Amino acid sequence: MCVRLRFGICLLVTSLAVPVLAQSGSAVSLGIPATTSAINSPTPLSQRVVAYDMDAKYNAQAHTLDASETLTYHNRTGQAQDTFPFHLYLNAFQPTSTWMREGKRWNSYGPNLEKWDPESYGAEEIKSFEVVGQGDFTSQLRYIQPDDDNKDDRTVVQVRLAQPIPPDGYVQFKIRFHDQFPETLARTGWNRDFVLGGQWFPKVGVWWHGAWNCHQFHYDTEFFADFGVYDVKLTVPQYEVVGASGIEVGSLNNSDGSKTVTYHGEDIHDFAWTASPHYLIYNDTFQGSMGPVKLRFMMQPAHWSQAERHARITKEAMERFDRWYGPYPYKALTVVDPDPGSEAGGMEYPTFITSESSWIMPKGWLWLEDTLVHEFGHQYWYGMVATNEFEDAWMDEGINQYTQIKIMNSIFGASTSLLNMWGLTAGQVDEARLGYEGVADLDPIAKNGWQYADPRSYGGVTYFKTALSLLTLEGIVGEDTMRRATHAYFLRYRFTHPTKEDFLKTIEEVSGRDLRSYFNQVIYGTQVLDYEVLNISCVPVDWYKENLNEKNGVTEYTCDVWIRRKGDFVIPVEVEIKFDNGDKVREHWDGQERWVRYAYQKKTKIESVEVDPDHKLYFDRNNFNNSRTAEANLAPARKLTNYWTCISQFVAQCLTWWLV
Amino acid sequence: MSENINLVSAGASIAGRNKRYIVWFYLLNLVFAHFGASAFNDQARAILDHSLYADKLLHGFNAGVFLELLARPEFGAFPAATHPAMMFAVVFFLASLLFMPGVLLGYASDHGLPRDEFFRACGRNLWRFVRLFVFFTIVAGSIAGILFGALNAAVAAADKTSNERLPFLIQVVGTVIIFLVLTVIRICFDLAQTDAVLEDQTAVRKSIAAGFRKTRRHLGRLLASYMVIAIMALAVLAAGILLWHAIVPPSSVLGAFIIGQATLLLLLATRFWQRATAVAFYIKEMAEPMAEEVRPSPPLTAPAVP
Repeated sequence: MCVRLRFGICLLVTSLAVPVLAQSGSAVSLGIPATTSAINSPTPLSQRVVAYDMDAKYNAQAHTLDASETLTYHNRTGQAQDTFPFHLYLNAFQPTSTWMREGKRWNSYGPNLEKWDPESYGAEEIKSFEVVGQGDFTSQLRYIQPDDDNKDDRTVVQVRLAQPIPPDGYVQFKIRFHDQFPETLARTGWNRDFVLGGQWFPKVGVWWHGAWNCHQFHYDTEFFADFGVYDVKLTVPQYEVVGASGIEVGSLNNSDGSKTVTYHGEDIHDFAWTASPHYLIYNDTFQGSMGPVKLRFMMQPAHWSQAERHARITKEAMERFDRWYGPYPYKALTVVDPDPGSEAGGMEYPTFITSESSWIMPKGWLWLEDTLVHEFGHQYWYGMVATNEFEDAWMDEGINQYTQIKIMNSIFGASTSLLNMWGLTAGQVDEARLGYEGVADLDPIAKNGWQYADPRSYGGVTYFKTALSLLTLEGIVGEDTMRRATHAYFLRYRFTHPTKEDFLKTIEEVSGRDLRSYFNQVIYGTQVLDYEVLNISCVPVDWYKENLNEKNGVTEYTCDVWIRRKGDFVIPVEVEIKFDNGDKVREHWDGQERWVRYAYQKKTKIESVEVDPDHKLYFDRNNFNNSRTAEANLAPARKLTNYWTCISQFVAQCLTWWLV
Repeated sequence: MSENINLVSAGASIAGRNKRYIVWFYLLNLVFAHFGASAFNDQARAILDHSLYADKLLHGFNAGVFLELLARPEFGAFPAATHPAMMFAVVFFLASLLFMPGVLLGYASDHGLPRDEFFRACGRNLWRFVRLFVFFTIVAGSIAGILFGALNAAVAAADKTSNERLPFLIQVVGTVIIFLVLTVIRICFDLAQTDAVLEDQTAVRKSIAAGFRKTRRHLGRLLASYMVIAIMALAVLAAGILLWHAIVPPSSVLGAFIIGQATLLLLLATRFWQRATAVAFYIKEMAEPMAEEVRPSPPLTAPAVP
């Protein structure tokens, strides 16, 4: 009863709140709802370009979906439009698609795609396509391949209208479509009786910088879409527990054993949903600076004991994002713990994220926290600051990885923010360095997502190099300035589609510094940073005297230190020279030459030399050669060798135990 | 039960009397492992000896920095560091195959076995032990292959259910069952080796048959004895790891070495204990039929005079 009442009120609000009416090419009055029932704001937050009204029925046995979609598009492009491209992402899961060919090329899915499995098949078929006031265009739909010549790729379809839509006009598309979900691939599809409906409906491209931006679905790329309003009715079997983007505004049981759950979302640019009969729901609330946020954790029964852990880290992340970067304005956040063994974990959609958990999850292994902080961060870097994930993957993944590191380090400590158990430790930066080092010079950060050398380079550069370069930038401009710059960037560009220069110029503006040289190398170039302490030498001044009795504090030495720039990345650096008597000297080197020598004459010898003693250069490719001690310290190698010896003995004993 | 305890304690007594074998084998393994780790040591020293960054490995163990070390091109290919250790593990296995006959003879002897007898037993039984090893590999390999195949199929089937714990439980239970089956096979071949040495049996098939026969007759007793010792070995391993974690400071190379080596020595001792138990059982088995033979025979009747 309560749910029905809420549903009715929402429908009433929605129908009343359509203040903007305009004229399309036809006589139909259209508009985008200006409702604010799903956000903690009295006014809309984005320039709403689209309104999707969808009614979908899911067949849980066949993993198919039949739906009708009414898409109202507001032409804010500033010019008349007669051509509209649409994404049909699910068509990527066919043997000859570009996504699949790229996946096979890299063999990234390994055994999963060694042999074509019909269950991997996904499809999105448009049954009918009507432009209101202009008639049926189903037969005039054309598949296009803007990125490659693969004529078998059907992930983008285009329609040309008979009458163009004038600037500031509206057009309404009525589409009926049929989906076949694959067994989870690329974080969408079904696994056993679970389903994650991601990228499941025909979605119009984005008019961006004077052209349609509607790329094919690539193996390494994600998504790009305009902000708007979503009203979605999902009909599923009554035994299913359902969750989705936006807020739930109604649930009705139907006489045929199904139920229809209705969702409403505002100022979002995508809509995802999930259903499974096994979910257990854990509710919580986060009090954000714009108002309360209802948190809904959809847990697997075997993971119920981790529900509180999910809630704790989500709220801690939300609190820091709110304080450091800006408010989370939506009224709800759904966190999905997907079916074990599915490839649906670790994904973001507006107001809807998936975690990655297991029934055994030691407290010191922070993978769950890592994933949740990352996916929640995407609510900011992708969800609200809606960058082009096809062309600027680093702006969502990389900036998000950077803020993830900041937040995880602030909660768990820098050296233990990924692993802290049994004496083993690892931090977020360690993970990033490992991901980056192997691909340091393969690709620049600024590159189309599908044009990276391989998925390893895509991941290592867009996620990790970006994060490390922003941490390094923090060392240049200061942590506080960097936080203010990121905050300013968020507030300025939320609910828009900023470019890479928007981000870089914001940092320059807030810091008041010309950072072009740095950006040119780190964002647009493939230069590698690697400083090295090349050599240390200390020779007694009176070396020629016979029976020289060297004595610290008495004997005078001429000491030399050579610092070398091994990589081609030029950046000023500090060098710290430590002497045997405890004296320390700091030198500043601009790094322009290939090497530099510092000479000292003192009554003491050099103990050690360290480049970047404050550890601000996070993406120096080799940290081991950043320092050099005059005397060898054998203990670290001995410790590792001892471990290795023990392991070898153990293996030998096990072998002999069984075989002799 | 008391019979099992007697067998285990008899084995302990034999292994205790012949501690020198355990010590020699332990030292042999230590020396081999030391040689095996020298390549790793050289490669690590070249990078770590003069670097302050190495502190992250000394005062604690940063897994990220360790992986970074392995990934350094100047560290060299990881197999270059690991292969020597694996090769020396194989050398230790071969040495064990060579010297085990002497150990078994020593265990069966009630006095300290002279060195020449020890090596004579090793030489005389070498080819027999090689053949026994080949037979063991065929039998254990075939059975393990079938069992692991079945286990994998069961785990894959369990993976299709929505019970997330089920595959893990099946994996654990299946692994324990396979361990028990392989232990039974090991017992058979331990007895076969004992038979080959103590009976000076040239036809190893007869030793294998004897091993299987004795195992079949006394399966419960032998398996229980072996499992008691195996559980002790697990306890030793767990205690060693716990001690290492609890009392050894991260930067103490010596402390880690002492705890690690003590654990490995005790682990090795448990296997020798099993071998000694097998010998004790075999000797007892040999003695029992002899006792039957000395039983008084029925009185002879005088031949009938025609």
